Amino acid sequence: MFRIDRRYFYNFDWILLFMLIGICGMALMNLYSASYPPSPWGIPPYIKQCYLFLLGISGVLFILFFDYKELHFWNYPFYIFIVLLLLFVLFAGNSAGGAQRWVNLGLFKLQPSELAKLSLVVTLASYYSRKEKAEGYGIRDMVTPVLLTLLPFLLILKQPDLGTALMLGIIFVSMTLFAKVRWQTLGLGAVLGSGAGVFAWFYLLKDYQKRRIETLLNPAKDPMGQGYQILQSKIAVGSGGVSGKGYLEGTQGHLHFLPERHTDFAFAVWGEEWGFVGSVLFLGLYFCMLLWGLYVAMSARDRFGVFLSFGVVMLIFWQAVINLLMILGFLPVVGIPLPLVSYGGSSLLTTLLGLGILMNVRMRRFQVGQNVEKMKQ
Amino acid sequence: MKWSGYKDLEEFTEHDDAELDSLKRRIFFAAVIILFFAAIIIGRLWFLQVYKGHHYQARADSNRVRMREVAAPRGNIKDRMDRELVTNRPSFNVVLVREDSNDVDELLKKLASALDLDISKLWEKLREAEGKPRHIPVRLLEDINWETLAYVENHNQDFPGVRIEATPVRVYHYGNLAAHVIGYLGEISKKELEARGKDVYTGGDLIGKMGIERIREVDLRGEKGSSSSEVNARGFEQQLLKNTEPLPGNDIKLTLDAELQKIAEGLMDAGDKAGAVVAMEVKTGRMLVLASTPVLPIDQFVGGISHKNWNALLDNPKHPLINKVVQAMYPPGSTYKMITALAGLATGVINKDTVLYCPGHYYFGKRRYHCWKHSGHGAVNLKRAISESCDVYFYQVGLRVGVDRLAKYANKFGLGHKSGIEMENEKSGLTPTKDWKKKKYKKKWQEGETLSVAIGQGFNLVTPLQICLMTATIANNGKQLLPQLIEKVTDPDGNVLSQFEPVVVDELKSEKKFLSLIRNGMEEVIQGRHGTARKVRIKGLTIGGKTGTAQVVRLKQYKHLKEKDIPYKYRDHAWFTCYAPAEDPEIAVTVLVEHGLHGGSGAGPVARALLEAYFTDYLQAADKAEKEKGE
Repeated sequence: MFRIDRRYFYNFDWILLFMLIGICGMALMNLYSASYPPSPWGIPPYIKQCYLFLLGISGVLFILFFDYKELHFWNYPFYIFIVLLLLFVLFAGNSAGGAQRWVNLGLFKLQPSELAKLSLVVTLASYYSRKEKAEGYGIRDMVTPVLLTLLPFLLILKQPDLGTALMLGIIFVSMTLFAKVRWQTLGLGAVLGSGAGVFAWFYLLKDYQKRRIETLLNPAKDPMGQGYQILQSKIAVGSGGVSGKGYLEGTQGHLHFLPERHTDFAFAVWGEEWGFVGSVLFLGLYFCMLLWGLYVAMSARDRFGVFLSFGVVMLIFWQAVINLLMILGFLPVVGIPLPLVSYGGSSLLTTLLGLGILMNVRMRRFQVGQNVEKMKQ
Repeated sequence: MKWSGYKDLEEFTEHDDAELDSLKRRIFFAAVIILFFAAIIIGRLWFLQVYKGHHYQARADSNRVRMREVAAPRGNIKDRMDRELVTNRPSFNVVLVREDSNDVDELLKKLASALDLDISKLWEKLREAEGKPRHIPVRLLEDINWETLAYVENHNQDFPGVRIEATPVRVYHYGNLAAHVIGYLGEISKKELEARGKDVYTGGDLIGKMGIERIREVDLRGEKGSSSSEVNARGFEQQLLKNTEPLPGNDIKLTLDAELQKIAEGLMDAGDKAGAVVAMEVKTGRMLVLASTPVLPIDQFVGGISHKNWNALLDNPKHPLINKVVQAMYPPGSTYKMITALAGLATGVINKDTVLYCPGHYYFGKRRYHCWKHSGHGAVNLKRAISESCDVYFYQVGLRVGVDRLAKYANKFGLGHKSGIEMENEKSGLTPTKDWKKKKYKKKWQEGETLSVAIGQGFNLVTPLQICLMTATIANNGKQLLPQLIEKVTDPDGNVLSQFEPVVVDELKSEKKFLSLIRNGMEEVIQGRHGTARKVRIKGLTIGGKTGTAQVVRLKQYKHLKEKDIPYKYRDHAWFTCYAPAEDPEIAVTVLVEHGLHGGSGAGPVARALLEAYFTDYLQAADKAEKEKGE
């Protein structure tokens, strides 16, 4: 297992690493501005994030020594561990804002729901890669992945954390469609899914969650509540203009008009200070990274690698899209961070681990496996 | 690290390449989705930052800078001796800017528990402000004490969006004195806001609702100041950017005399009399007293009158809401006889020596018209007719003159039309003519009605102010002046903006010579042996005057009753009007007491007290001169 092959060094995904460091550098810089002026007490968020970034990168480099194929096995203990953690936070976790989401780990509060996203990606990748069906999956094949998704989904919904729960659903849908399902299965899924949605609206969603959705449809109705956040975010981004107000010069952020400015709305600070030009440059790099992730999936040596890479890209991509559309006023405030940019240890670690998996897949693209042997024949 | 099942897993991952390739083809599709969303996001960014960038820049600026208005102290109101009637004092209010508070619910809970308040009342204040813009402060508590003020100021970090606002409030140094003249303030209504221009007022502003406060609103209101400061989203002011001090309103000095007004209102009030007292400088038109009783309880109006109090005022049979000086009309009664007398002299139907016989009644048509003195006055000339108020004499003069000519002279003395005084809802009164009756009732004038008009009954209606003007015009030898109540308007720096100036409205010409005859008669009313107002006599001061009794109803059933047994609302109104000193008249005083029965007894004493107070110095000087003469 611990074969340090020189090919690994040559095959190492330097491009992804540089893009990652570039994005994280800008994100940390932005975080400094978002929490400016620095609070006199406690470790400032950007310092914490910096530590976590270094921790995450070292973790990534460490797991690079293991073949991602090991995840076929480690996936289930990991999954069970996450479910136990989710149960733990439900009963004994730290609560904030009416939701129980954290396990206090000293340096930072671990949010098991973030790890659950990655765990689900790996679990589904493992399942779909092992159970291959050229004609697409039938209804009976879907029972296991649906149950595997539903368990953490419901636990997270109970916290309640609607945004993260929805993310699990989106990951499931993306990966399942990618794996190819039969038309009947798709139809049944659509019917059941929309049925569950209607049911949830009337019986499961809390009032504040409904309000968020209603506010999006009519923001003027409640300018100080949810609509206020969206409005202030739009003002922040819009007032950046073409070239931005300059680093540390954003008024929306620094005068506290922007809510959650170093977490969910961190990109609004960037947009305000760097304008259209800076935003496009930043997002260009960000989306390049995601496309590169797909390229990694293309070049993977096996089905598991393809699913893993695809899942990780989708995980980051959908969070980013939802977060950005929210900041730009197209979606309700659902509490989904912009991976790598928003402050939050669990999200950062999860994303870095995901990117580590990508690097792993990329690095081992030529590794001797059945495919390579077949090619040799 | 290697586990036992690893080999088996390798078997699992064995697949055919075709399937792997189809999987990879689907990746292209995913890439298209990513690019699609990237395009949407970049497009949206372009829309917000480039296309609408200027709009949002402006929004961000106004977000940052909050301007708030600072109310201007209204101008002071003083009387003619510079006694302060109405001034201002600062009042501290606790206000909430809803836009600056993230959680109003929580905030009110905290505030209510900290200040030991009833939270439902705070909620009610917010509900009242529901429709107003969120950046307009809502008053939670008004005119708080120092303790509350200190607490809120010291804990302002605990209450985001809450702040203390200092506003000037009115102080009424003389209580309800001259309430009908001065008026009161109230919160601007939606209608007023639309009518008076939104650039000057905003919702919640106080505006004059009545009297001088309303009529002279433009003078008194001053100019609001403003202060702009940078605030954060939690409503805390970061720094002051610009501050414009408010400009106080202009001071108004009235021609009223607070002490005289106080005497008038006090005497009326003490006798529980409803009515009006008017005093005027005859040569200038300055109004010295404009009293209407019962006095309006101005303190009930401060901060908005309650429904209960308002209904009580509405239902009060003595109508405190009506300013009886100009808004109520009464038959002039015998005070009208001066008009009849002048009309008789001017038209030549009588001269000063014409003697008419009064047997106590006069037959006209098939009716018998009574003199108030049923035993009759015997043979009376003009002087006696006025001093003893002989009805029969004036029946005959009136008949000879005719109603239309009576009306012409009545108009010359200010009856039948508005005087133009700066008071609201002034009534014009009524001087009937033949045409008027035809138009109004489609009926021919009956000559018998002229008899009633000639003694001030019938269709005749006047306001107390009009009777005062009439008296003043007689006293001023036919020169009628515009009644005015504002002496001076000065700006906050003391510059005089406008200064009182007498305005002559009308002047009698050829008829002037007859006025001394009428004055002679009026002087006999007080000084004469048989005068109807002998009780008003003041030693050392010659007074000319006339009493009057205005019939409210003519009901047979009350004829035989003693006066005190007649129900209040059917009793006659009492008039007394006079001028002094007779030698060179200075002031005219008119008193009307609703249902006061007789002019001499019901209204006279009030006028007498006013004259005594006004002529204190004059009387002392006269007294002194007399003593010296005696020695």
